[in-house]
Amino acid sequence: MLNRKYLTALLTSLMVVILVLTGCSGKSSATDANQKPKTEKKQEAQPLAKKEGNSLTIAISSNLVSMDPHDTNDTLSGSIQSTMLEGLVGFDKDMKMIPVLAESYEASDDAKVFTFKLKQGIKFHDGTPFNAEAVKANIDRVANPDNKLKRYSMFALVDKAEAVDEYTFRVTLKEPFGAMLNNFAHPAARIISPEALKKYGKDVSMHPVGTGPFKFSEWDQSDHLTVEKNPDYWVKGLPKVDGIKFKPVPENGARVAMLQTGEADFIYPVPTEQAETLNGKDGIVVENKPSIVARYMSMNTTKKPFNDVKVRQAINYAINKEAFIKVVNRGYGSEMDSIIPEGLQFYSKQTPYPYNPEKAKQLLKEAGYENGFETTVWGANNSDAMKAMEFLQQQLGQVGIKVNVEPMEAGTLTDKIWSVQDAKDAEVDLYYGGWSSSTGDADWGIRPLLAGTSIPPKSYNVAYYQNEKADQLINGALQTADPEKRKEAYAEVQELIWKDAPWAYLIVEDTMAGKKNYLEGVYLLPDGSLNAKEAVIKK
Amino acid sequence: MFRYIVKRLFGVVPILLIVSIFIFMFVHLIPGDPARLVAGPDASHQDVELVRQQLGLDKPIVTQYITYISNLVQGDLGISMKTKRNVYDEIADRFMPTFWLTVWSMVWAIVFGLLIGVISATKRNKWQDYTGMFSAVSGISLPSFWLGLMLIQLFSVKLGWFPTGGSESWKAYVLPSITLGAGVAAVIARFARSSLMDILREDYIRTGRAKGLKENVVVWKHALKNAMIPVITMTGLQFGFLLGGSIVVETVFSWPGLGRLLIDSVSFRDYPVIQAEMLLFALEFILINLLVDILYGVMNPQIRYE
Repeated sequence: MLNRKYLTALLTSLMVVILVLTGCSGKSSATDANQKPKTEKKQEAQPLAKKEGNSLTIAISSNLVSMDPHDTNDTLSGSIQSTMLEGLVGFDKDMKMIPVLAESYEASDDAKVFTFKLKQGIKFHDGTPFNAEAVKANIDRVANPDNKLKRYSMFALVDKAEAVDEYTFRVTLKEPFGAMLNNFAHPAARIISPEALKKYGKDVSMHPVGTGPFKFSEWDQSDHLTVEKNPDYWVKGLPKVDGIKFKPVPENGARVAMLQTGEADFIYPVPTEQAETLNGKDGIVVENKPSIVARYMSMNTTKKPFNDVKVRQAINYAINKEAFIKVVNRGYGSEMDSIIPEGLQFYSKQTPYPYNPEKAKQLLKEAGYENGFETTVWGANNSDAMKAMEFLQQQLGQVGIKVNVEPMEAGTLTDKIWSVQDAKDAEVDLYYGGWSSSTGDADWGIRPLLAGTSIPPKSYNVAYYQNEKADQLINGALQTADPEKRKEAYAEVQELIWKDAPWAYLIVEDTMAGKKNYLEGVYLLPDGSLNAKEAVIKK
Repeated sequence: MFRYIVKRLFGVVPILLIVSIFIFMFVHLIPGDPARLVAGPDASHQDVELVRQQLGLDKPIVTQYITYISNLVQGDLGISMKTKRNVYDEIADRFMPTFWLTVWSMVWAIVFGLLIGVISATKRNKWQDYTGMFSAVSGISLPSFWLGLMLIQLFSVKLGWFPTGGSESWKAYVLPSITLGAGVAAVIARFARSSLMDILREDYIRTGRAKGLKENVVVWKHALKNAMIPVITMTGLQFGFLLGGSIVVETVFSWPGLGRLLIDSVSFRDYPVIQAEMLLFALEFILINLLVDILYGVMNPQIRYE
């Protein structure tokens, strides 16, 4: 009897808890609206939120690794560096190349010699003048294999770097590389004060000294990094805020809460499932823009049945991409319409494979798989990847392909996919993955993933895709720095591979950032990096 | 007693040595290639091989262990593969935040756990008992990430009393320590209740009551002290667990502690940091066990150390 009483009490209380819970989450279930969410609209409607002081706090998703641009390979650390350090060239909002510390630049016809005219009168934070010698010191450092820097490979082709005169810098490559300017626009090519390099050596990662709008202030590795205003910044009128504190907040819910309470002025990423409820309340604006992160499922083209192009095309027809965006990304994304996203240089639009299960079945029949087949998809074990793979499982099930979903932890994936020494030993059938070309150039969006020379363990061609014509075009496009010629070559490659379908082309993700409505000038680039140079607080 | 402690402390060395072998083996057995992770997603095959040589990961595992242990004996924990900082510094930065969070969580847990436990035991099968045990069951079963996020929603977002994370002021300690302490309080409450109920049935308690002692004196002075042995064991173990840093709570509250360092370094396969952290946990547990054994004697002088 007593037990029963206890149980009743417990159950009643549980009911209450559940009711409270559903009350809390009820709002978010209304977000599965049928149209693509438009977050911009609500910005005008609400009054400016209150803000004290003129400094910003930006909450980011994981810990920072290094402040040495030559030794950094995560986008996040690179973004924070961009407030303090600048390169000769860079990217604007739309990933178009713009001069930064360079006045102008030119490439030789054979794509081997690149000459930069530098801006004059710029000083590093420590007072050292910025000139061609300073640039040379940086490029010599990163291009020297003995320094064992993570970004060495981007500059391994450098034969010699010269200071032609005080404000002319010239670099000569060992062999033609048409995408080299993009490497100079990459975060890895940012310029550190040569004095700081001498003074700190390897520890320069703890003491970044550049020419940027903000100076390094403090870095508590376990908690935050702060930068402060550089009053002598070479662009007049900038920066407009006194400083920025970057705080890693790994948990999505906590990051969102910080924006709600005003502890943070800007956060990214915003989890897609909370974007709609967050937007337009408490002075919060959520901004979503197309990124250059492509999501696709590669098929091992050396293995049956994926060695048959009809099967690969059938799979492309069998997947409803629009539904994928809604189900997996809550409406934040767009359909992939080439082998690279629109944000990359030399993108050329293709005709998407429309959702057509009948055609898929027809193609499978032609290929001799009328009764379908069984296969396995591998991918990461985070909840987004699992949701995506389950969705693909369901879609392919409709046309008779039975897919087993095998999520794996990152290290296991490395072992089972990227470290396989011989193509014959590759067990992989389907792999769900993504790619973001950090140089903004088509080359890095295509070559590592689809060139014949990029098969694991060398690089990331997990489709084991080999196409001689495509390889010729990919390599040919690097023999020149002439944008017209490169454009032509990449247009052809994109068409060729699109039709050959070594991947099931899925979606291009959106970047998701949240901010208070008094904040302007802070935004995410399509590659997911952050630009806060022009931050301003409206009062 | 002094000899006993010295003897136990000497015993720590071989235990740690054996533990270090296990940790080293397990860490190297986790699938995943740190060289590739260090080299980064854009690295070529040659780059990865170069990094592997630099890190000494191309050598046989026994050689690697010998290098590791001889460095360790000289007090050198190595360099983090991810940040290239000294592992000692990495851990030292995070130890105090975790330590203080643990202490505050334990303070909550012991105060509330004991209180609930004692009330439940003395008011057995009355409403106080049900309420107490219901909160205890909830405390154990509520996932801490849920509890943490709910506390943030209520106390940070809606009421604005406490910050959502960080460890700058005393206010920042409140929500994470409650979240972390809730589960421990529940365990302590249950142990205290059952242990105290057993004691309250003993003859000497009846004698005490027959003598006309006040109930409060019987419970708090005579019964509770004897009921504490299993509670102390439990509390000690929990303290050890918490000192390892709670991955969930530290992640939810952006706490700069050992738990977050561990999850970061495991996902990066940062061998030196994982090994050092695991060794530290082992050491903490050994020391806490020793402390618990000593406390037994204080609580019950019949327990002797030989």
